[in-house]
Amino acid sequence: MEQEREEEILSAIHHCVKCKLCSIASFHPNAKWLPLCPSGQYYGYQAFYAPGKMEIFRAILEGEITEPSKGLLNSVYACTVCGACYEKCKQITNVELGAPELFEEMRHELASRGWSLDVHKSIAELIKETKNAYGEKYEYKVETTDQNADVIYYIGCTARYRVPEIADAMLEIFDKLGLKYQVMGEEWCCGSVLFRTGQVEAAKELVAHNVEEIRNSGAKTVVFTCPGCMKTFEKDYPDMGVELVHSTQFLTRLGNINLKKEDLKAAYHDPCHLGRDLGIYEEPRVVLSEVADIKTMKREKEQAWCCGSGGGVKSAFDDFALWSATERLKEAKEAGADALVSACPFCKRNLKEAAENEELEVYDVVELVNRCLEG
Amino acid sequence: MTETFSTLVKELQAIVGEKNATDDRAICTSYSRDQHWHFVPAKNPACVVRPGTKEEVRSVLMLANTHKIPVIPYSTGINVRGLTIPVHDGSILLDLSRMNRIVEINPEMKTATVEPGVTFGMLLEQTRKHKLRPAFPDAPLTVSVLVNYYLRGIYQTSATDGHDHTISYEMILPNGETLKTGSRALSEMPYFRYGVGPDFAGMFGAHPGTCGVVTELTAKLYRLYDNRKEYFIGFDDVGTPTEFIYNLMHDELAASIRLVDNQSWLEGIFGTFDYAYDKLPKFVVCVLVEGVDGIFDAKDKLVRKYMHESGGQILELPAEFAQTFEDESLGGAEKSCMVFGLPGKGNYHCIGLYGPLTQAAKYYEVHEKTALEVGIPKDHIHFYIDPIYSFHGQLCYFELDVFYDGSDSGFGEKLRNYNEKQFHRLLELGIYGWFRPYAGIIEPTAERIGYLAEVWKKFLRVLDPNEIMNRGKLF
Repeated sequence: MEQEREEEILSAIHHCVKCKLCSIASFHPNAKWLPLCPSGQYYGYQAFYAPGKMEIFRAILEGEITEPSKGLLNSVYACTVCGACYEKCKQITNVELGAPELFEEMRHELASRGWSLDVHKSIAELIKETKNAYGEKYEYKVETTDQNADVIYYIGCTARYRVPEIADAMLEIFDKLGLKYQVMGEEWCCGSVLFRTGQVEAAKELVAHNVEEIRNSGAKTVVFTCPGCMKTFEKDYPDMGVELVHSTQFLTRLGNINLKKEDLKAAYHDPCHLGRDLGIYEEPRVVLSEVADIKTMKREKEQAWCCGSGGGVKSAFDDFALWSATERLKEAKEAGADALVSACPFCKRNLKEAAENEELEVYDVVELVNRCLEG
Repeated sequence: MTETFSTLVKELQAIVGEKNATDDRAICTSYSRDQHWHFVPAKNPACVVRPGTKEEVRSVLMLANTHKIPVIPYSTGINVRGLTIPVHDGSILLDLSRMNRIVEINPEMKTATVEPGVTFGMLLEQTRKHKLRPAFPDAPLTVSVLVNYYLRGIYQTSATDGHDHTISYEMILPNGETLKTGSRALSEMPYFRYGVGPDFAGMFGAHPGTCGVVTELTAKLYRLYDNRKEYFIGFDDVGTPTEFIYNLMHDELAASIRLVDNQSWLEGIFGTFDYAYDKLPKFVVCVLVEGVDGIFDAKDKLVRKYMHESGGQILELPAEFAQTFEDESLGGAEKSCMVFGLPGKGNYHCIGLYGPLTQAAKYYEVHEKTALEVGIPKDHIHFYIDPIYSFHGQLCYFELDVFYDGSDSGFGEKLRNYNEKQFHRLLELGIYGWFRPYAGIIEPTAERIGYLAEVWKKFLRVLDPNEIMNRGKLF
């Protein structure tokens, strides 16, 4: 790490006074004690809360920690990098370096020393081989693509291979509305999982490929149903001169599309990448309110509880991921919802898995829109 | 890690479960430093243990006592004075955050009984259902109720609450015995501090280390009133408002009275960085009146009378500032922590002390003088007074603050010089006592207390003959 950057990071770490207010949602509005940090809440040791992780990073940079112990790897990687701690911190301080940025830098530093989890290294290998994060060798077929369309729908690995109902719904919406779109001839993983787990070098080939494909497509707009992909394009890709929009933004712009509202009480779960990272809070709610009655959960928007699957957690710490999701399901039920609706394939996958034995439906917002849209 | 210690970790794991004890280097590192690190150097514990029950605490202590291993109790992890940073190699850090049960809230008795991991936020969430609240420190509401009270009262944000909120507690000693204070020792009613014999609740509190591990504490709760009114009065110096504060305290009129300077705590009390604080008078007295209908009206009338006679400037401020002040004073500090966000000054150093209001101007004068002498810029020097009912001895909590950039090691050196001079100067000037008996401040003090120091030392030897309870902080 360059010395100037190291000094910047150490300065930010030194400014943490370890008040731990970052671990709870704003208290005074409701006088409710609501935890915000899934990792700290689940594992308990100080190392799993933001102040403890910062202390570990300091010790690494200052040469006190020279080996990758199990506790080191667990505390660093059993964090969804959801950014809730940073959102809380910046309400009361002028913190100069956000915790997610700091923790991703920490992972990059660890990866550069070869201190990655084996499961994350395996994902990098799978991506290298198959160009998708799940190592799948079959293609998700899209027949109605129009290679002259101005809009590209970037599907993403999870909607292609794990929750295809989201990709199916989005494509049906395009078709029902008679909108022209294209999908990439050869869509590669966006690299999100590599960036989020510190394996930055391994993502470069993916970025180069996707950038070239999009530039060659002539499209002006890229639509995402996956906020993780969209965040990666926003943050880690060069400017391609195209507009990047989330499905809910895209749908909102269309105006009245004659949706038939269902008799459904739905809580909206803010995906971390969509909300805290990209600042998109309103459009999903606008779209959802067209198809269901929204029930508000106690922790939402900037202070939403993470579903538990991001940052490489789902692949490495599935028990923790499912516990986090279960906590969110409880909150949705307390709010009086019949369904928990997200706007992210990764959230849906984890929440759905946790809800296997629950009387609570889990959807992505585009699924409901598709269901309520006259064909 | 030595083989002997590895064996010990296995024994600890046998007590608390494998996942609740570890000697992992990284995990231990996360407990190695608090924000007082310029003054108490970082040090890793050798292992961290997270008991979930009193019996587990007892077993851990007995094991540590047998092997003469230092134990550092730690509750919720928010410390500002190095109190939970190990002094000796090979220490066990006893993380009590799993023990976070509110054992009882008794509205009739106006008490709460809590374990060490219960925070002020957790407790208020439950007590407010009964229109009751705990006494709050001006510390984040993520801190432990039990520890704040046990360590010696608190500088509460509500003056009316008085100083001592602890009624009784139970403590597990290094030999495994349970010691109960006050009426707890006699009955199942833990609601009276002075049971049989001496006031042990007082004797066991306020040590630089601890005497044992407090596993349960019963504390006072206070009423939440519906009628409230806030006032802000500006002054250009510390001396002028003391008569106004005296009048409010003498007549027992205001729930909260806080004198702060306009460049530090006021930002938290108002809940925003975005205000022209430099346009306000240098010091602001924030006053909150509360009470039941008729009494509230009478109090409010008198407060306004004294306010108009005070010689201060009555400030007209946005209504939301009053709401934040109310929330922070009667509901726990959250926005107050905005002092950690003062641009270029986000780290916090203070000398907290108790003394009479009559000395206020002198404390400020010596604070400013010493700070300037060691090269601390004037705009980093801040000040804070909380008077405390029932005001015998004109009791106040004073805080001599310096907010600074913690990444600036040169500033850290200046502060160490400041401490070295200031501890002695304040002792010469005359104080009632330090807010917390932390490392650095207690040593020069112990030299001055005569035979009490000898008795104190002997007392600790009786309770903890193997010196395992983090004794290195003092004797």
